[in-house]
Amino acid sequence: MIGIVGAGVVGSRVAETLRLFSQQQICVYDIEQIVSQRLAGRLSGGKSQIGVVDRNSMKSAKVVVLCGPSPHFLIAKELLNASVSVVSTSDDIADCLNLLTLSQLAAENNAKLIVGAASSPGMSGLLVRQLAESFDSIDEVHVALHGTGGPACARQHHRALSGQSIGWHDGEWLRRPAGSGRELCWFPEPVGAYDCYRGELPDPLLIKRAFPELERVTGRVTATRRDRIFSRVPMMIPPQAEGGMGGLRVEVRGMKSGARLVDVIAVAERVGQVAGVVAASTAHAIDTNKIGEHGAHVLGDESMPNSWLITQICSAGINLHSFVRA
Amino acid sequence: MAVKFIRRVLLAVSVAGAVAGVIRFKGKGVGAIKQGGWRKVTDSKQN
Repeated sequence: MIGIVGAGVVGSRVAETLRLFSQQQICVYDIEQIVSQRLAGRLSGGKSQIGVVDRNSMKSAKVVVLCGPSPHFLIAKELLNASVSVVSTSDDIADCLNLLTLSQLAAENNAKLIVGAASSPGMSGLLVRQLAESFDSIDEVHVALHGTGGPACARQHHRALSGQSIGWHDGEWLRRPAGSGRELCWFPEPVGAYDCYRGELPDPLLIKRAFPELERVTGRVTATRRDRIFSRVPMMIPPQAEGGMGGLRVEVRGMKSGARLVDVIAVAERVGQVAGVVAASTAHAIDTNKIGEHGAHVLGDESMPNSWLITQICSAGINLHSFVRA
Repeated sequence: MAVKFIRRVLLAVSVAGAVAGVIRFKGKGVGAIKQGGWRKVTDSKQN
């Protein structure tokens, strides 16, 4: 049985994807019971049985996907103590770092903890691994994200532009003000070109963990002037139920056959959809015992079934686009 | 004297606006499109 905590945008996409993978038993929990009941009612039928449960009943699941707003640390700890594997979609730096400290606890309880299994982080790590296979060695990774998933993701995006970005630069972690360092990045259509700025994203931390050989890692988010100006004050306009079309762009630099090479791969899809499919595929991998090692992992790590995950993600309708020079 | 100053300010603002407009219009680069494009990656394992 796979459990889903949070029945918002990402949670509902996780349930839809698990149903697509013919997962038989799915249980959903949300603070607002009506939301989880609506989701279960919408997706029930066919091979999948979707039930609404309380928080304690999640401890009887084999894997639980945490799709609610961060922090996920406390609920992840509670589930790991009950030997339940956890897939977290958290995109908050502090929360991701705290979750990684649960590695020992997960290992002691024969459970797996996947940190940052969403779009960014998550899909970004998988794309780096996908590109890294065509290089002899890689040394730079630059991630750019456009768009937001649900309201919690939009709030996190707002915070990401006002904090401090963290990036790996020639052997040390550099902290720079978020919202600085403009760079024009091209995403696949229909997203197109957007100015991207340093953001408080956990991607550099998690990608560096999966690829220790990297010398430079950065994470950027797209933003308008209005986003940058108002990022320092609380959100005055409530976020929309779901953001529009989003994009994720991963640029990898390295060496191939003695020559310097730059390669770019990207996804143009709603961020919530990508996050839901990545989280569901990861949970499905744990449920079908594709991930052997206990403890905390990040996507893109050598211990993860990255190729299998990419295949699953593509089969769920996420298209990858490679940048081709004319 | 004051009118002369206001005229100068208005002239400076309009010249600066015109220059910024030209740079911005010219800088709306479509150059990158000319240099390449996106190709859908097909996963060989799916075929």
